[in-house]
Amino acid sequence: MPDNTMFSLRLMLKDRGTRRRLLLHCRCELSATRKRCRMMKGPSGELTLCIGLLLGLMGHQSVEAQPPVHRIHVESSAMRSGETMPRNFTPDGRNLSPPITWSDLPEGTREIAVVCSDFGAGNPPPWVHWIIYSIPATANGLPEGLPILSETAMPTELASAIQGLNGWRRPYYRGPAPPVGTPHIYHFTVYALDEPLGLGPGLDREDLLHAMDGHVIGQGDIVPIYERFGN
Amino acid sequence: MTDERPRTISRRALLRGAGAAGAAAAANAVGVTAQPGPTPTPATVPTAAVTQPTGTMATRVVYEQLSADEAELLGAIADHLIPEDEHGPGAVAAGAVVYIDRALGGALSGSRDAYRGGLAAFERYCRSSRGAPFLELSRVDQISALIDVETGAATGAGSGFTGGSGAFFGMVRSHVLQGTFGDPYYGGNRNFIGWDLIKYPGVRTAVSPALQTALESGELEPNHRSAYDSDNFEKAIVRSVTLEMRHGD
Repeated sequence: MPDNTMFSLRLMLKDRGTRRRLLLHCRCELSATRKRCRMMKGPSGELTLCIGLLLGLMGHQSVEAQPPVHRIHVESSAMRSGETMPRNFTPDGRNLSPPITWSDLPEGTREIAVVCSDFGAGNPPPWVHWIIYSIPATANGLPEGLPILSETAMPTELASAIQGLNGWRRPYYRGPAPPVGTPHIYHFTVYALDEPLGLGPGLDREDLLHAMDGHVIGQGDIVPIYERFGN
Repeated sequence: MTDERPRTISRRALLRGAGAAGAAAAANAVGVTAQPGPTPTPATVPTAAVTQPTGTMATRVVYEQLSADEAELLGAIADHLIPEDEHGPGAVAAGAVVYIDRALGGALSGSRDAYRGGLAAFERYCRSSRGAPFLELSRVDQISALIDVETGAATGAGSGFTGGSGAFFGMVRSHVLQGTFGDPYYGGNRNFIGWDLIKYPGVRTAVSPALQTALESGELEPNHRSAYDSDNFEKAIVRSVTLEMRHGD
């Protein structure tokens, strides 16, 4: 199981409603695994399925990044791991990008990237809600409500940062909108990179992970949940 | 975050998608019952009248199908989709809302309930998510709300969109394109604003070598003629029979 998943589970165990959230997390992971298996299942049948299951159980660690060599401390003034995100960071509210801060960056960090993924959605998973890269190493976080309009400039301290394409192929944050009654888990993952990658605009998650391959020297995340009610 | 004049979809991107085919698409969508008939008359069953902002002029528009509130909301949405900018007037000035209003009484009558329910759901969604009606939101929040509707994220948030918010957005977008770039005969593309915007030179039944050369060099002047100004094309019945019958009530 991916390290960041264990991290989120540890946090959940501290909270009330542990059992429900644990079940939710397992359900999401199993759902993602099933989807990965379906995608990999070919005419050869069960053997392929078994391989897919094995790879699925290995989780997204093999795809997301190499095992982190340094744990970055990630937190937010507005949300916590294992707890429900405020609705203003979802389409049930203003759908603003949430504030995130990080600390304990590894020595030698030259650039930072952030990805928000839902491993319980997407075909194949994950569904990507946000990616932002080319963040200067001097930054210690992202403020609330980064621009959704191309003509609106990024904050000065993030002038070089670029918002890449999310699952809707849009270059800005779009928050959780899971099906009613189906809570999902959202991984806001921060990557520390050992050199500026010189990336241009228009990258999606796959492009970014490919570009970061071999350059990730630290990683951390904050993992809130969200569930919608009513119709 | 600043609140500058936003764009839900950049005009260039939208026009790339619409292109000159927008006119043909509009003609196909509206003219499905094409047969000889009279040119549509101005509104005769007024249900709402609003002053519609059109940039340099304010025209009092009488709507047949849409209420004043619905027309105002639809106009605000259309203004985001194809705004007036440095390239020229937008969808509102082109009469896209008038086109939709007229078509809802005719070829698009099947969409009447979708508009009524969808616009009401959109207002509920804006109040629920952003705390105010769409027209009272900041431009950025308006754009954000429209993005959520477009991506289907507004569904299931208590708004009550039928068939998903994305379906509603897609319908409105298609009709705004039709109303902006379709043949003016159908009530939109006022003063050939849409065709001028995409530099469509107009319908010509015969093209001489000189015209072809001018077209290829981008120097062909638009003729600003509806296809139905030519005797070669038959006019379509835009209004539904039931609406015509109501005129005599």
